[in-house]
Amino acid sequence: MSLFGTTTGFGAGGTGVFGATTTDSHNPMKDVEVTSPPDDSISCLAFSPPTMPGNFLIGGSWANDVRCWEVQDNGQTVPKAQQMHTGPVLDVCWSDDGSKVFTASCDKTAKMWDLNSNQAMQIAQHDGPIKSIHWVKAPNYSCIMTGSWDKTLKFWDTRSPNPMLSLPMTERCYCADVVYPMAVLATADRGLIVYQLENQPSEFRRIDSPLKHQHRCVAIFKDKQNKPTGFALGSIEGRVAIHYINPPNPAKDNFTFKCHRSNGTNTATPQDIYAVNAISFHPVHGTLSTVGSDGRFSFWDKDARTKLKTSEQLDQPITACAFNSNGNIFAYASSYDWSKGHEYYNPQKKNYIFLRNAAEELKPRNKK
Amino acid sequence: MGRKKKKQMKPWCWYCNRDFDDEKILIQHQKAKHFKCHICHKKLYTGPGLAIHCMQVHKETIDGVPNAIPGRIDIELEIYGMEGIPEKDMQERRRTLEQKSQESQKKKQNEDASDEEDDDDEPGPSFQHPPAAQAPASYNPAMGQPAPVMPPAGYQGMPPMMPGVPPMMHGMPPGHMHGMPPGMMQMGGMMPHMMQGMPGMPPGNQFNHSFSRMPPHMAPRPGMPLMGQPPAAGSGMPSRPAVPPAQPAVTKPLFPSAAQAQQSASVSAPSHSAPSTEPPKATFPAYTQPPTSSSSASSSNLSSGGGAKPPVPVTSKPATLTTTSATSKLIHPDEDVSLEERKAQLPRYQRLLTRVGQPHVVGQPHVVGQPHVVGQPVAAAGGMMPPQQGMPPQQPGMRHPMHGQYGAPPQGMPGYLPGGMPPYGQAPPMVPPYQAGPPMGMRPPVMSPAGRY
Repeated sequence: MSLFGTTTGFGAGGTGVFGATTTDSHNPMKDVEVTSPPDDSISCLAFSPPTMPGNFLIGGSWANDVRCWEVQDNGQTVPKAQQMHTGPVLDVCWSDDGSKVFTASCDKTAKMWDLNSNQAMQIAQHDGPIKSIHWVKAPNYSCIMTGSWDKTLKFWDTRSPNPMLSLPMTERCYCADVVYPMAVLATADRGLIVYQLENQPSEFRRIDSPLKHQHRCVAIFKDKQNKPTGFALGSIEGRVAIHYINPPNPAKDNFTFKCHRSNGTNTATPQDIYAVNAISFHPVHGTLSTVGSDGRFSFWDKDARTKLKTSEQLDQPITACAFNSNGNIFAYASSYDWSKGHEYYNPQKKNYIFLRNAAEELKPRNKK
Repeated sequence: MGRKKKKQMKPWCWYCNRDFDDEKILIQHQKAKHFKCHICHKKLYTGPGLAIHCMQVHKETIDGVPNAIPGRIDIELEIYGMEGIPEKDMQERRRTLEQKSQESQKKKQNEDASDEEDDDDEPGPSFQHPPAAQAPASYNPAMGQPAPVMPPAGYQGMPPMMPGVPPMMHGMPPGHMHGMPPGMMQMGGMMPHMMQGMPGMPPGNQFNHSFSRMPPHMAPRPGMPLMGQPPAAGSGMPSRPAVPPAQPAVTKPLFPSAAQAQQSASVSAPSHSAPSTEPPKATFPAYTQPPTSSSSASSSNLSSGGGAKPPVPVTSKPATLTTTSATSKLIHPDEDVSLEERKAQLPRYQRLLTRVGQPHVVGQPHVVGQPHVVGQPVAAAGGMMPPQQGMPPQQPGMRHPMHGQYGAPPQGMPGYLPGGMPPYGQAPPMVPPYQAGPPMGMRPPVMSPAGRY
């Protein structure tokens, strides 16, 4: 039963490890392919929170749809449901209890999708495409935070058509992350702002960007006591900055590292520098993964400041990544991100989402 | 830290005024930045060496040391690491550093980043205050060896009035002080310890014994010469052993002065600032710090191999524009526009939005053929979205409720806006009446005027 109307070849469920074609580099890591992937570039992935049993993966794509799969323990993926927007979906997130999924789209709206009833209703409206959406769960309130290209950051109580709070930005919102009580937002023109969400969201600090190029993705990390303490910021210049909010020694604790570049040690040919499309932190180990336009993913240990692993190169850029709630599964999506412009777009090329076992490879390296 | 601070604080480069952790690193820096031949990239050992090389091998003369700050470009001065630096420049440097450390001490109260250089240079005032608190902790490591001899932890150098000192100490010193005050001054700290070691000995004997025993006792004590030390140094001594364990961030001054050096020599070495500061701490010699301002990777490398120091001339300059240099290329079309924005501008995706926006005008007439409502506009738009065609079958399940919500406002349900959005529960009942389709078309207009919600 293919729930998604337009599945091609791989539609009929199964393990989906179709890396059978010999020299096909669409899955060089031989990871599990998710069945019924979207038909256009995948913009975002999110796993269900630990509060609900099982693993459900949500993926939003440029085909205006948001798809939900159940990921079973044996690696099989079962398509479960789908919702549509009227524009490409740019971001998705789960509510903390796992009953709702929030989706943000280029159609300037954000929707709340109740999985139990499979109904979606609009809960937010902007003047421009909404690029980021996050669920905020505070002791005294909960809301949705949406960042848009209309240069505003708005907070919505899902029951009201008007935002609870609307903060103007200097530039378009490019990416954001929320780990209560901290939220960080990166905008165009290398803007970077941190918010504190206690009682009411308010701006905490504007930070001078540690990076010299356009911000592309951001992810907050926590300290040993499970409190958010800093964030990793990725740019289009193959570089990630690790930035702590209140470090004992900023000059020493904050650092940047290069990634997603071609021919590392060979200096004969010019090096290609790719954008970092997404960063996500392992929920248990605190190590991070980055995925880039070069079609590779890498795992890093920011405390030992070392790289743990880099994958083989896929034939398409990797546009999104996510860890499941217990850190055993790493999902990454392979689709074109427009990094080489329109000319390299091939509508015939399939888009994939791969699942990989992340339990071992993300273990931190022991500090020497 | 051994004797007097080595050549006045940390090694620094005479040519560009930058600070380094280690003389070795300083030398590596000098070889790479100042003594490197611009023609063949050969690294020489000194300025004159470079000059000679260029003359003999390339038949070229050079008139100054590359990447040096103005005033320090003398090619004839033979400087290697910290050797050969003219005395007056040393003093100037010392002075500037002291000034800086005073400023930063004040700043220390305000900011996190602190300059630790004071530790060595100001043993007196800062370390006498919390002697009681510090001594026990700080001396424990140093106490390892002499422990058997001096059980109660080395209060050496600490005034005998230490509260932690066993009572018998109190008795002793005053008695002996009387005897030889000047001598006591110097051995004041020692004597009590001696006493402890031999409680039963008569004072005179104790002195003799103490003299003879001093040297052996002193020997194991790390870097604590007993004789001739002024009392201030006595308290300074405790500071020294305390310093290494207590102040881990030996590299701290690195950045403030690196930043300062960069300001003064900003042109000279933007790309090399990182490598010089990395090796001491990173297991991976490849991380750059933000203070190095230049984004450009500089020669510090990371990449998969985790290469080391050799300056790999990677990446473009720190610019906000996408740059393509001879050695690197940014695979990204435009710095000012994100990839998603670019993609969204495509007609393929734009049409989607405008089609919806067009709305009711197109939609309504098609309302009757309800299942095709969506299909037709799609076809009209050129059939771009295959997924759209897949939608009709899903509509009954999914879209209607959404439309149901939207359908409400235009019907003038006043309760809608003030009351907030009707909960899901209401959606299903609302669906049937709206299946007629107007909401499909109506939705867009709803979104815009009522769009502010």
